[in-house]
Amino acid sequence: MRALCAVFRMRFREELRYRGAVIGGVICQTFFGLILIAVYRALYDTRPQTLPLQDVVTYVWLQQAFFRMMLSFDGELTEKIRSGGIAYDLCRPLNTYAYYYTRGMAQKVMGSLLRSVPMLVIAVLLPDGWGLRAPVTVPALLCALVSLGCGLLCVCALDMISNGFTLLTLDGRGIQSLLNLLMMTFSGNILPLTLFPDSWQGVIRVLPYAQLLDAPIRIYTGSQPLSGVPAIWTLQLAWTAVLTLCGLLLWNANRKRLVLQGG
Amino acid sequence: MSYIHVSDLSKTYIVRKKKSGSLLARERTEVKALRNMSFEAERGELIGYIGPNGAGKSTTIKILSGILTPDGGEVSVGGVCPWKDRKRHVGRIGVVFGQRTQLWWDVPVRDSYDLLREIYHVSRADYDAQLRRLTEVLDLEPLMNTPLRMLSLGQRMRAELAGSLLHRPELLFLDEPTIGLDAVSKLMIRDFLKRENRENGTTVMLTTHDMEDISALCSRVMVIGKGQKLYDGGLNELLSAYDTVHIMTVRYADPLVQPVLPEGCEAEADGETLKITYRPDRVPTPVLLTALQEAGTIRDLTAQPQNIDRLVADMYKEMGM
Repeated sequence: MRALCAVFRMRFREELRYRGAVIGGVICQTFFGLILIAVYRALYDTRPQTLPLQDVVTYVWLQQAFFRMMLSFDGELTEKIRSGGIAYDLCRPLNTYAYYYTRGMAQKVMGSLLRSVPMLVIAVLLPDGWGLRAPVTVPALLCALVSLGCGLLCVCALDMISNGFTLLTLDGRGIQSLLNLLMMTFSGNILPLTLFPDSWQGVIRVLPYAQLLDAPIRIYTGSQPLSGVPAIWTLQLAWTAVLTLCGLLLWNANRKRLVLQGG
Repeated sequence: MSYIHVSDLSKTYIVRKKKSGSLLARERTEVKALRNMSFEAERGELIGYIGPNGAGKSTTIKILSGILTPDGGEVSVGGVCPWKDRKRHVGRIGVVFGQRTQLWWDVPVRDSYDLLREIYHVSRADYDAQLRRLTEVLDLEPLMNTPLRMLSLGQRMRAELAGSLLHRPELLFLDEPTIGLDAVSKLMIRDFLKRENRENGTTVMLTTHDMEDISALCSRVMVIGKGQKLYDGGLNELLSAYDTVHIMTVRYADPLVQPVLPEGCEAEADGETLKITYRPDRVPTPVLLTALQEAGTIRDLTAQPQNIDRLVADMYKEMGM
């Protein structure tokens, strides 16, 4: 466990080195946020929806600020498989699944911290109707943070499944772009899940993708009453357990098949 | 049982080739990287493992270091099977792959070492002592705070070597550790390995294409070709079997007229210098020396050692590789 903490810290610090990427990410995500809000405002002008506009705006900002948490692209694994550098990772007295899980988590936490803090500041400063609204209550904020943590565990487990496929196919880009499409759609990044047709709600709300950001944001905005929070946490952790188990099985099966090329 | 025990080890890779003239059809061919490889090794040995590219050297090292699972055979290193008990096994071995990097690319070398300390659960005191020793022997002090990507290949290799010894492994695998290095770095790494082996009793197994590495370091050589062990023994014994042609250069005081040399010698005269190529099994060296002395007043005589690469090339050829 101590070793994994050290891996986490190392990856954390590595992430700090890419400052240009952070600035680029903040600009890009702010731009996307503004465009999406402009679109929703135009939509609400002609056809108001059940969800208040202010909640949609808050939803968009939180989704954009934590975008990095969901975007899964650990190019390093592909690179390591190509160069054979993964040989060294396999020579460490660590569980390789736990090792990559930890690395991915550090990358997500640091990446989203660096981007979300400036973005949330910008979003709070924007005029009413464009900017981020404060959480409904302080307990709601705390519950949302716990839920965000559970969502993080869940998304890391999801990533490890696509990493498991990378071990199999040696290049994860195909499966990753497919999984990213599912992720962006069903996590609510493109369109808040509440705005999907009612007949879809029953299904998409239970999918693992809804557990990542949609669940914490609903708690934050108050559209999810606090009484339902334990059920949400349970669902998040249940998905985490299932996905981790699947990932472990896939990873271990494919790790044995992995052939290190060349040299 | 010996410290390293390998018996009947085999590994087959499946290679898919595209059929020529067809867009999609692929052919599956099996490449037998190892066929029934067996050997034993004791603690403290320094073994050189040679063979042409694609012979199965790296495959053996990868299996022995727990990275690859073989198709058949048995391996035990200090009583542990590398791929069945991987975590326990890798905790006490060190590995250096000459063509890859184990340290973190973007961070200073020292930070990578700190992380390795945590990964291998090395105590602070042990780590400090070992790092101090390695820093001194490998002259790492100037590199410690530099990110790895800014180091030259030679510096990087030294840093890598130290990285794989921080946890004081009892067994060290080196896969082409001197590849691409300049003479100074090579010598430094050879000296270091020799010392590590002698002073700490670290068992070392290295693969290389640089025969100087082998002759400087290894008392025992294993030759592998097409996945099979072809030779296992001393380097000198191996070479003398292929060391069939000798070359001698003699400088005389005066230009030569027409020296009479024993049958079977090839001589090339150039002014006062005579270059003789002969096979000692056909022309005994004492007989040749007498003839040379009779030919004139010798000022200087040098016997040229055979180029070791040439010998190995001959050997590979003879062994059918």
